[in-house]
Amino acid sequence: MMKVPPAISLPQGVRDILPEEAEKIAGIESSILSVFNGYGFKRVITPLLEYVDVLSLGMGRELEKSVLKFMDPSTGRVMAIRPDITPQVARLVATRMRDCPLPLKLYYNENVLRYQERGGARPEEVLQIGAEYVSAEASPDIDAEMIVMAADALKVLGIKDFKIDIGDVGFVKKVLSRLRVEESQIKRIKDAVAKKDNSGLELILDETGDAIDGRDREILLALTTFYGEEEVLEKAKEISGDPEDVKSLDYLHSVLDIIASKGFRDSITIDLGEVRGFDYYTGIIFEGFAMGVGKPLLSGGRYDTLVERYGYRARSTGFAFNVGNIVRVFENA
Amino acid sequence: MRKGSESTRPLTIALPKGRILKEAVALFEEAGIDTGSILKESRRLIFENRDEGIRFMIVRGQDVPTYVEYGAADMGIAGKDVLTEQARDLYEPLDLGIGYCRMVVAEPGELRNKDNPQHWTHIRVATKYPNITTRHFLEKGIQVEIIKLYGSIELAPLLGLSERIVDLVQTGETLKSNGLVEVETIMEITSRVVCNRASLKTMPKRIKDIIDRLSGAVSAGKGPE
Repeated sequence: MMKVPPAISLPQGVRDILPEEAEKIAGIESSILSVFNGYGFKRVITPLLEYVDVLSLGMGRELEKSVLKFMDPSTGRVMAIRPDITPQVARLVATRMRDCPLPLKLYYNENVLRYQERGGARPEEVLQIGAEYVSAEASPDIDAEMIVMAADALKVLGIKDFKIDIGDVGFVKKVLSRLRVEESQIKRIKDAVAKKDNSGLELILDETGDAIDGRDREILLALTTFYGEEEVLEKAKEISGDPEDVKSLDYLHSVLDIIASKGFRDSITIDLGEVRGFDYYTGIIFEGFAMGVGKPLLSGGRYDTLVERYGYRARSTGFAFNVGNIVRVFENA
Repeated sequence: MRKGSESTRPLTIALPKGRILKEAVALFEEAGIDTGSILKESRRLIFENRDEGIRFMIVRGQDVPTYVEYGAADMGIAGKDVLTEQARDLYEPLDLGIGYCRMVVAEPGELRNKDNPQHWTHIRVATKYPNITTRHFLEKGIQVEIIKLYGSIELAPLLGLSERIVDLVQTGETLKSNGLVEVETIMEITSRVVCNRASLKTMPKRIKDIIDRLSGAVSAGKGPE
């Protein structure tokens, strides 16, 4: 094999895709897109570059750590290669498409470039096929439709034994917002919940003393074990009793009922302790997993304030497939 | 419960070679999970427990988080030192309380006598844990030059490689016999059960069952409270 001279090597985190794999990817794309089309979604194409301050409107300041940015020589503004398509679609809906009647069902098939949070300075190029459902109001039917569409696509792709795991960041955020402790401690609590680190969480809660009352303490600790199937929701209701919490749990329950009625009951798991994902999620979140691939095949959720951050009042739910991880399912099979 | 919605493929658990293995195996046995001849056959790396559908894999402690993050193992046992250093995307659902030690900053006794850590602005530190060390000192506003070593850290100050070290201590004997004294504790360390995200999502019942049984074994070991 020819040895590639260092002078013509590629930057870390990006790669070429040769015909054999490109063909597999094309097959994956056409399966997913046939399902998206069947649900009435229309394609949009968003640009490679955005201004950082425009992206941060949607994604928050944290974003700056995870993008490749540089100066636009003509205006002096800082630009970035898009790390995520969803805020672009939100911007597009709030600007060029604001006169189109809602709901809007849009999909995209693009690559993004993001720096991984951990391990530091290493970019990663990801092929994403995603869909966004923008509507005037949120409803369990829309969330369920998106999850069922994701499940349908996994089925059409021929992936066996997949699971779609559903959580609700709205529920977790409500519990966290009730706590009367410092921001830095909220962050530590959130990190411990994210890792399901029950004993670590207990230590942090002990440090806060009386600031967190008995019931919230019990809910937070329980969040680390609230994963599994539907029974998790009942347990959460028993412990909480807070009317706002019960409202979130009932919403999630209706989403599950609709999904079950479409025949995907056995493909669903619940995890109320899931707090990963983008800062802009406000309600249910979901990720798809397959046996033998350690990373999610898709991830998404409801983000009811994102479009509004660009100046237009609309609610939205969306998700994106990580095409690279889907390719790995077939490699491992 | 509906049957058959969860896979029955073998669940792989990565165990660390070395001093933690014995204590870990004792906890599995206490939890009623047979580990077969793991402690007897020191050259074999894979052990099957067919009744439970579990496969044990023996790897280096530092490699456990890697195997688990990529899904080559579904679960594992890893020290909090390794987990913090590598900061991987894993669940850490259970503290087993085994393998207790502390990560400390230490320096030679004679330096300690005239030294005031409050006045440090730039220091050179030898360690196996560059990330933890850098973060610890950065949070205090101290610039740190890391000398990464893979073992015998205590030698570094003796040979003038660095003034200070960050390393694990159990009893403090090794530090003492090399003329070093502790300056501060960075963190306390025990071994944790770690779990791959996709595995927990695709086999929640089987994984919860193992965690619950190990948790019971940990409580049993602590005795009645």
